[in-house]
Amino acid sequence: MRLSLGQITGRGLMAATLAFGLSTAAQAQEYPHDTVTLVTHSSAGGGTDVFLREMVGFLGKAMGTTFVVENVTGGSGSNAMAKLAQSPADGSIFYGTTPTYINTSLLSELEYDFTDLEGVANVFMDPQIVFVKSDSPFQNLTELVEAAKADPAAVLFGVTTPGSLDRQVMEQFKSLTGITSPVITHDGGGELLISVLNGTVSVAIGEVQELSAQIEAGEIRLLATYTEERLPNFPDVPTAREAGIDLVVTKFRGLAGPRGLPQDIKDLWAAGIDRVLADPEFKAWYEAQSLVPTPMNAADYEVFLNKFAEDQKAFLIQYGIMSQ
Amino acid sequence: MDGFSTAWNILTTTPAVFAAIGGVAWGIIGGALPGISPSIALALLLPFTYGMDPITAIVLLGATYVGAEYGGSIPAILINTPGTNAAAATVVDGYYMHREGRGGEALGISLQSGVVGGMIGLIFLIAFTEPLSRVALSFNFPAYFALGILGLSVIVSLSNGSLVKGLMAATFGLMIATIGTDPLSGVSRFTFGEAELLTGIEYVIVMVGVFAMSELMMTANTPDWGKTDQTQTRIKLPTFRKWRKLWRAQGIGSGVGIFEGVMPGAGGSIAAFMSYNEAKRWSSEPEKFGKGSEEGIAAPEAANNAVACTALVPVLSFGIPGSNSAAILMGGMLIHGLQPGPMLFQKEPEFVYGLFGGLAVANISQLFLGILMMTPALWLVNRPKPFLMAAIFGLVFSGIYSIHNSTYDLYLVLLFGLMGYLMRVFAFPFLPLVLGLVLGYLVEANYRRSLELTSGDHRIFWETPIALGLLITAALFVTGSALRDILAARKAAKRVAEGPAPE
Repeated sequence: MRLSLGQITGRGLMAATLAFGLSTAAQAQEYPHDTVTLVTHSSAGGGTDVFLREMVGFLGKAMGTTFVVENVTGGSGSNAMAKLAQSPADGSIFYGTTPTYINTSLLSELEYDFTDLEGVANVFMDPQIVFVKSDSPFQNLTELVEAAKADPAAVLFGVTTPGSLDRQVMEQFKSLTGITSPVITHDGGGELLISVLNGTVSVAIGEVQELSAQIEAGEIRLLATYTEERLPNFPDVPTAREAGIDLVVTKFRGLAGPRGLPQDIKDLWAAGIDRVLADPEFKAWYEAQSLVPTPMNAADYEVFLNKFAEDQKAFLIQYGIMSQ
Repeated sequence: MDGFSTAWNILTTTPAVFAAIGGVAWGIIGGALPGISPSIALALLLPFTYGMDPITAIVLLGATYVGAEYGGSIPAILINTPGTNAAAATVVDGYYMHREGRGGEALGISLQSGVVGGMIGLIFLIAFTEPLSRVALSFNFPAYFALGILGLSVIVSLSNGSLVKGLMAATFGLMIATIGTDPLSGVSRFTFGEAELLTGIEYVIVMVGVFAMSELMMTANTPDWGKTDQTQTRIKLPTFRKWRKLWRAQGIGSGVGIFEGVMPGAGGSIAAFMSYNEAKRWSSEPEKFGKGSEEGIAAPEAANNAVACTALVPVLSFGIPGSNSAAILMGGMLIHGLQPGPMLFQKEPEFVYGLFGGLAVANISQLFLGILMMTPALWLVNRPKPFLMAAIFGLVFSGIYSIHNSTYDLYLVLLFGLMGYLMRVFAFPFLPLVLGLVLGYLVEANYRRSLELTSGDHRIFWETPIALGLLITAALFVTGSALRDILAARKAAKRVAEGPAPE
């Protein structure tokens, strides 16, 4: 019901912007393709799929062209990367980025990996949050760190999957604080949440979207966020930095394309993402999801992605997940 | 009663009823195509639901799940290929009956058992979501490990004769399960640098290879394979008298299915195998299992349909999907702005009751749609063998290709086909292989996680009451079966010593 209402108002808005935007459209360069494909490695209904499908409605009116989302699943992103790498670098096809595609590139010997793609624009950062069961004795990170130092085996840390970004964050947290508690991996966010709810692990990391139902129901409590600033939806939850732990997590969501994209396409995207993020209706959606808008243009994003890959590689080698 | 009238209102004022019926029909087709698992049938449908009213969309997806879990038994019975992972246990007795010319009866039993299991599962979902969610919460790593061990103890009864060969097949299944990413460290194991193997090998690829491809190879080897099968199969629902013989197996199947569906990570295949084993144990004719037992179809088919309903318990109560299919269903809810989890019943009661009502319609309409859709399926398998075999080959290849749109999977399926062929030649049983494959990850990951919790102390397994209970049950199963086999062997030896058996 909500979606159809949204579509109706969306059409109204589109009509309004069409009328209003004639002057701006004359200045803005026309996008050289009628249809642009956004590829995701996420299956239909998965996190990135939902995000892209939500965004394309707004992108369409911001950039004056039609967008379609295509799910190219399998091989943890490698199939999608191969498709992109073999597509023309003319702005007709892009890939929805998440840390997964870089991890997959590092962990296997691919014919096409993340270096065959180039960053086009970043859109969001997913804030990572530290949570405990609502009746947990820990009220903040400091108490947690003290308890873990006193008895490392009594404070168990939970993360989703072994090669995941949150495992990396947990290990960084341990080395920053000098804790030696075990980090227990799970098969995904759902299993991790059950482990927190039934008391198997004492503390875990997650994303707001996945946990919002449990937060609202008061089943879990947030201890901290790994963001630069406090989240507007949770003004009472301090950042890790406020607790004296210098840890900010960058779990990105953006777009990459085949290497060699022309500069004018990159410029169109930089302007398009800015316009999408300013759209009040889209803003309502992403604020409810606690996504932090973090636009980056192609040049900045490419630097960011390469830095991320380097850090990730260092982590994977340090913890013996990859050799060399 | 308020919930009932809400459900009635929604079903009579929205297109939800049509969604339920259409979903079941699509689900049966999807489940019946080897390679298209319930989760793929759902994923293919999902994009079409974006523009629908939320209740209609979710009823459509839920009904597809119900239909797909049933549909998997059709190729299991007719062409010796499980259409879905959870139909692997149905293959044995179902295909045996079909070869005896009783395929129509087998189809009728699986259909009726699926409806019974689905309805019982649905009643439990509606009435006991809250207490069932507590069962899900009480399962921690040691308990999941013990559950996996209990599942593996079923090998004894699936081995049909040679326990050594059964154990070898199961070990091979366990070995295949180690391919992919290590569940704890994240190191890639046995992937040879192939990204396709990072997430492991899909169960369905192994099963379709072992069952279907090897069957095709065997058939190509038989000299008279050009002849047409003269027996014409027609669907035959069990009569009331027969039903009285089956209700116990269906009850066992539904019970096991309800239990397994609730727990994230367990799923339909384990439920099917465990209920098969239990039905055999409690049957008055256990010797018929593996040789065309009707109860051997009724129990797993009731179980996998019960799972399809109770797998929604963790979704509705925690927002945690219990299976791949439930995950896609949950994705559908999120797309429509519905947040599954503890607040859903309070915030969107119409949605929850509408879903329940839709599932009830889906389960009932499955009975009629099943009969209707069986006719073309039966027509197809009654075609001359060369046509049928070519069609199966094409069907299997397109189905497997559709999983990831990857030709890599086609090579894998051929490889497992060759393996299945060799297993047939040397008379190795298939089911222990499948069981080892399905349970390998569950057992390994949870064993190691349990030990991480205690820094390597094994006492955790007997200090966790659920784990202890399950492990003792598994030990009793194995020793009990071993004793029975030893006694039977002694009796046989005695008879041989006394002279030729009266025939």
